[in-house]
Amino acid sequence: MGERLPEPHPLLQVTDLSIRIGSVGENLVDGVSLRMNAGETLCIVGESGCGKSLTALALMGLLPTPPLRLMSGRAEFGGQDLFSLSSQDLNHIRGGEMAMIFQEPMTSLNPALTIGEQIAESVRRHRGGTRTEALDRALEMLRRVRIPAPEKRLGEYPHQMSGGMRQRAMIAMALANDPRLLIADEPTTALDVTVQQQVLDLIRALQAETGAGLVLITHDLGVVAEMADQVAVMYAGRIVESGPVAAIFDDPQHPYTIGLMSSMPALGARSGRLVTIPGIVPPANAMPKGCRFAARCPFAMPDCAKAPPLADLGGGHRVACWNAPLEQAFPAMAVAG
Amino acid sequence: MSDPDIILEAIALERHFVTRKPMFGAPTVVRAVDGVDLRVRRGETFAIVGESGCGKSTLARLLLRLIDPSGGTIRYEGADLAALAPADLRAKRRDLQFIFQDPFSSLNPRMTVGALIEEPMRTHDIGTPADRPGRVAALLSRVGLMPDYANRYPHEFSGGQRQRIGIARALASGPKVLVGDEPVSALDVSIQAQVVNILEDLKAEFGLTLVIIAHDLAVIRHMADRVAVMYLGKIVEVATVDELFSTPRHPYTAALIAAIPVPQVGARSDARPVEGDPPNPINLPAGCRFQPRCAFAQDVCRAKEPSLQTLPGGRSVACHRAEVMSLTGIAETTDTRTKAAHRRFDLYRAARIAGASPQAAQGNPALPSQE
Repeated sequence: MGERLPEPHPLLQVTDLSIRIGSVGENLVDGVSLRMNAGETLCIVGESGCGKSLTALALMGLLPTPPLRLMSGRAEFGGQDLFSLSSQDLNHIRGGEMAMIFQEPMTSLNPALTIGEQIAESVRRHRGGTRTEALDRALEMLRRVRIPAPEKRLGEYPHQMSGGMRQRAMIAMALANDPRLLIADEPTTALDVTVQQQVLDLIRALQAETGAGLVLITHDLGVVAEMADQVAVMYAGRIVESGPVAAIFDDPQHPYTIGLMSSMPALGARSGRLVTIPGIVPPANAMPKGCRFAARCPFAMPDCAKAPPLADLGGGHRVACWNAPLEQAFPAMAVAG
Repeated sequence: MSDPDIILEAIALERHFVTRKPMFGAPTVVRAVDGVDLRVRRGETFAIVGESGCGKSTLARLLLRLIDPSGGTIRYEGADLAALAPADLRAKRRDLQFIFQDPFSSLNPRMTVGALIEEPMRTHDIGTPADRPGRVAALLSRVGLMPDYANRYPHEFSGGQRQRIGIARALASGPKVLVGDEPVSALDVSIQAQVVNILEDLKAEFGLTLVIIAHDLAVIRHMADRVAVMYLGKIVEVATVDELFSTPRHPYTAALIAAIPVPQVGARSDARPVEGDPPNPINLPAGCRFQPRCAFAQDVCRAKEPSLQTLPGGRSVACHRAEVMSLTGIAETTDTRTKAAHRRFDLYRAARIAGASPQAAQGNPALPSQE
């Protein structure tokens, strides 16, 4: 670990990841490609069932197979393809160079071990050393995640801590082996808003300190705007729009991204009736052919029966929509609007 | 005393739970709701906001006497709900309905949707057995579901659809007050927006009074007329929604507002007016309950618990230092979207209204006309 040379390659590059479940004929995650550089934060945003958590689990090699099946894809991290590693090599990387933070720390921490033992276990597994050294490291990590009275907390069990403290302990464990890549799946969703803010601040500060890359999975566009450098918006298993965070918020192009943003109540003056996305997400066993959003899209046209490619509009802003850029496709409506 | 504008009122309302009763010594008591006064006006949307464990869900249940208070009074249209005999209370429940947070556990899985929605009509002897299916069908289409869903079971529906079923059931008895405990917080953003719109439409159509319990401040900003902020069993501030968000007077309110992640790039502020976690409701701090986390706390705050004081203009706050602090909120003029993004939203809205494309008009067969 230790020194970090400037990397000519992206830290993580995922190409054409597809995942299926059981005998269902359509991919749950379909042709997902992602690319991120060291030190960057990539936010994957979407609603339940869009495939964002499956993507994260696949990267960590935690996909339950069966019932899920990895249909295609490569995930290059540190010059290796994560999907073709032996389980031994994967165990070496996981929790070491690459670590994960889950949504619910109560179910992802071991209730029968103290916080100190759990962190020390991970440290010894990856770095060796004595139990005392590992516990010292655990203490140092609790201090770094700003847990009050860390000496006392080291000997406590997860149930003795509040949700926010548990999530900090989880972060301490994930960062104990200086990972270069941190994958966080809805890390603050279960937390109260004031505690969420503290945990996001902490993740950001530690990331700046360690230079780790962060893949942050969330459904909250507010969290995306605060944290992301790059954003990928997922709908029904596909990336529908991606690019630098400013492009996504200031120039949203995919009708799903726009619909999602307009569904959010404004924080300033009251905005009147919310403009919603009609309908519901298609169920996994009845994915539409072509563009998967077409049935809910106010701009849909006959061409949408074919799946649109994720095309670059410039500056790394990519959109999977036949109508992008929208104003050019609907000049009359743009004027009327 | 009885103001005709006030439809629902809580006076010194308390609910204490005994969590542990040792053989010797004092039992452990959680004061979930600890002396709450509030007045809900006819026809308004009144929101109660707070973080987990503040007692807001207990308060919601007390307001309809789904649980019994340990002390205090609940008045609905002047009648004391806590003193009513069971039969009289049941009759009043026709006017007072509840929407639960979890659409998965609040509908009996063994009843059809039709039977679920019909049940309140049978309980309150509304209509005749012959015309109830017609009422059920009308309620279903009113919440954006197909009338023939009446023959299906709850497990066949998504979370958003189940919440619509819960709303249709709550409306079945023709209530005057709907109390919703986090009615949209289990739903995805796009579905949440659909349900928020339905609640607002129904409120206007039936002249309902809404009491909404929520932790999501953006939803409250959108829906509420007045807001009460709760912290550890007490109300710390009550104000109109515009006043509360633009000029919070309690430091906890300001902290909640500052912690909202704003969907605007570069909007993140580094101001963090609150530290730490909410304390354990079993071991309440001395003095003001918020004082250990409060950046403005002084000796008086540690010594004496502040009471909810009405300020000139009608808003109220429970803080010793409300008069001397200056707190920031989110101005009403705040716009988190750029001009370019606004143009895109206008275009989207125009397309939604036009319903231009045949594919969109068809929509998802599982859920037809939504708006």
